[in-house]
Amino acid sequence: MNANPYLPDMATIVEVIQETHNIKTFRIVLNNEQRMKDFTFRPGQVGQLSVFGVGESTFVINSSPTRKDYLQFSVMRVGEVTTRLHQLQPGDQIGVRAPLGNSFPLEDLKGKNIVFVGGGIGMAPLRTLFTYMLDNRKDYKDITLLYGARSPADLTYKAELPEWTSRKDVNTVLTIDNPSEGWEHKVGLIPNVLLEINPKPKNTVAITCGPPIMIKFTLQALKKLGFEDQNIITTLEKRMKCGVGICGRCNIGTKYVCIDGPVFTYAQLKELPSEL
Amino acid sequence: MEKFITKENLNRLAAELAATCRVLAPVADCGTVTFRRFQPGMVMDLHSRMAAVSPKAATFPQTETLLVVKREIPEKKPEIIETLPEGKNVVIGCRPCGARGKLIFDPVYETDKIKDPYYLQRRKNTVFISLACDRPETTCFCHSVGSGPADPSGSDVLLTLVGEGYVARSVTPEGEEIMKMALFADAGDKGKEADAKNAKAREMMGEAHDYASAPAKLLARFDDMDFWLAQSAKCISCGACTYMCPTCYCFNITDDDLGLSSQRIRTWDNCMSHTFTLEGSGHNPRSTKAHRLKNRVGHKFSYYPDLHKGVIACCGCGRCIKQCPAGVDIRQIVNAAQEYAE
Amino acid sequence: MSQLDDLKTAIKSRLGDLECVIGWEQGYDPLHATPLFIRSEADLDRLIIGPLAVHNLATYLTGWKGKKVGVVVKGCDSKSVIELLNEKLINRDDVVIFGLCCDGVVSQRKIRAALPADPGFVESVEIGADSLKVTVAGQAATLRLDDVRADKCRVCDTPDALVSDFLIGKAHTPAPAPSLKCQDEFEAKSDAEKFAFWQETMGRCIRCYACRNACPMCVCRDYCIATSRDPLWVSQENLPSENMMFQMIHVSHLAGRCTECGECERACPVDIPLMLLRRYMNKQVRDVFQHEAGKALDQTPPLLTFKVEEERINERGW
Repeated sequence: MNANPYLPDMATIVEVIQETHNIKTFRIVLNNEQRMKDFTFRPGQVGQLSVFGVGESTFVINSSPTRKDYLQFSVMRVGEVTTRLHQLQPGDQIGVRAPLGNSFPLEDLKGKNIVFVGGGIGMAPLRTLFTYMLDNRKDYKDITLLYGARSPADLTYKAELPEWTSRKDVNTVLTIDNPSEGWEHKVGLIPNVLLEINPKPKNTVAITCGPPIMIKFTLQALKKLGFEDQNIITTLEKRMKCGVGICGRCNIGTKYVCIDGPVFTYAQLKELPSEL
Repeated sequence: MEKFITKENLNRLAAELAATCRVLAPVADCGTVTFRRFQPGMVMDLHSRMAAVSPKAATFPQTETLLVVKREIPEKKPEIIETLPEGKNVVIGCRPCGARGKLIFDPVYETDKIKDPYYLQRRKNTVFISLACDRPETTCFCHSVGSGPADPSGSDVLLTLVGEGYVARSVTPEGEEIMKMALFADAGDKGKEADAKNAKAREMMGEAHDYASAPAKLLARFDDMDFWLAQSAKCISCGACTYMCPTCYCFNITDDDLGLSSQRIRTWDNCMSHTFTLEGSGHNPRSTKAHRLKNRVGHKFSYYPDLHKGVIACCGCGRCIKQCPAGVDIRQIVNAAQEYAE
Repeated sequence: MSQLDDLKTAIKSRLGDLECVIGWEQGYDPLHATPLFIRSEADLDRLIIGPLAVHNLATYLTGWKGKKVGVVVKGCDSKSVIELLNEKLINRDDVVIFGLCCDGVVSQRKIRAALPADPGFVESVEIGADSLKVTVAGQAATLRLDDVRADKCRVCDTPDALVSDFLIGKAHTPAPAPSLKCQDEFEAKSDAEKFAFWQETMGRCIRCYACRNACPMCVCRDYCIATSRDPLWVSQENLPSENMMFQMIHVSHLAGRCTECGECERACPVDIPLMLLRRYMNKQVRDVFQHEAGKALDQTPPLLTFKVEEERINERGW
């Protein structure tokens, strides 16, 4: 981050990956070589991407800090800024303010079993941590990844799925909502498949992200499996502008999602007033 | 430092300062009083009424250009130009409540981690010469939020009307510097008269309301939507309260495409607006005016005090009450939460 | 029985069937009224009517859509109800209308100008038949109601509610002035003078949208073009030009729909005379379409309908 927290770094898009019909992944490099070299962040932190003349939006940095060639963001096309981002191509210039927000509690996760439960674009924040853990595999015990989407076409990070599913040191389970021709993995809603996998809560932390309805039922499933509130971690999204706790719109009571979040444990969420 | 300045000389002071600074002063403006940039020849209107809008624009203008991006040459990479504010400002004739607004901004705009350079630069370069109030309006409640009609905190110089001029007291070194100008005369024994006037103004306000229980009591009503529906029934969900308020510090950031360049501006935004929290997906965590008013009142009287040593994010100037098109009274809402029988 | 007693009796007779009845009560000081949402007979004790009851309560009706509510309306306010009904923005079955025969309301701005001290220092108010006795900062002043009446009341030709379930009070014979001096004077200005006037006046606008949200006919307020990014018509930059652009959009959206209730101007916290724009626009609509919004049920605003050829727009004769 710059001393002036509103000042973005200029960055060049180096690669654009069409993930689904409305999600693209952008790989970017800061134009200032030194700043790119010095750039550090923790998994879970977010960044603000600018299309100048259009505006800024918040996205999680979904590359791993262990892989420093580029910063990666996945963008679903929903509004003004994301629509314009989707029109950009390698070589195009954007602004980036990063890293912002808190991160996954890396130290607390060491030595634990980890269960990732991701749905749709909600895989983005999990991908960072998942990749980070693969690169530091010995620090963690059993790792399970349950990743689901509506249909095979709605899965992001397709290029990486073969590696994730074939690795012996992680248990990757993919699922889609309805049967589809040629699909060799699970069929069923994420919370149901989670119950089927039946991860043991002892010394295990569950990390989940996805659409609100999926989160709701995943939390119920995790509780049913015996997970304690402080061992369930999720990330929140709110409309943000400044990203640094000033502009006043992303608060839930006294907590600002941009600086106190986006990562919260279920125990912390329960302490907050109900305004999601 | 204590001095005396005549009414005429105060107007001269404004004119002299206007040569080197941006001077904001209350002037009669088609039936109302607003802070306008003072130009020599203008006459200040300090006494007919409190200015409709607070003087917060001096440190937090309604539009602040954060940066400009030039992309004049297609084959060259665009260039970001940081546009930090320059120059000095003087606010003359605001009331103590208006000058105190920035004290609420300070702990938000400057923390251990984040410094807002635009605000801090203006904050450092702005001097407030305030006028103590001699009589409370029906909407005034500064005494209930830890202040009073002659509160010097937030001001650099505090004036008290005595006869045909003002007893001027410096509050900060910056204020003292201005008071060295020849327009200020010796105060003689007028200081005593000023003290008596200030004491009388405070006495006229009566007993202060105790907001100590407000943070917890408001939070206790958080999920009680019936309470908030009733409290917000007459609210029309506009932004008059917010934009009049000396302490409301929330803002929007938007880009304007200007052809060969673009600007990123920050503008006053208000929590009563539907779009304030509207998310890209169409989901809105504060979808009704009841949710929004809950956040507005909660922020000032509960969340902010909880985060900042119990300080209420309100100066008690009453602008939100008297300028509200529907007469929503924030005092009544907080009282209703405080007095709510579980 | 007084008009207020009659009104209370009428409201009492229907309160049981309704979510609430919207009226007025005394506000934060004796000079100001504020909307009152009557849910019980105890609330009814606080009801007031009279020259201080300025708010057009029809503004709230769309917010209660789908629920049965009562509303107290003056003649002018009843035109807003008619317009809301005509545009099918509310259902007649959902609203019980308590119509008043109105003797006119005050302009707080005129009171402010007429008092010897700021109305913020008000101590007491006595409302007489044709005067207001106001004590401010220890000084008593008697204001003639005629001198502090709202502009809209001077030209009012509908003092008695045009649509109602209960009509309360003695019917009036309207005696509207043909025009307002402030309007005539403004329209007589040259274009350059008008431009300079708005340039100056819109410099005062803070874009709080009180004018928009107080307007009973501005029903898209949560999705207003003023803050939309797509389409992007108005910058958020607070410039006289952008502020005026918003007002131009506002006034155009109200063409043929504005009933001149004056709420936009009343709501403006920085006293921008917005009715200068409204009255001018309404005059054009009257001339071109011979239409006045809110005057009769079952009319369609001319810009919400389509005619192959408008009688008074000579499209082919150019």
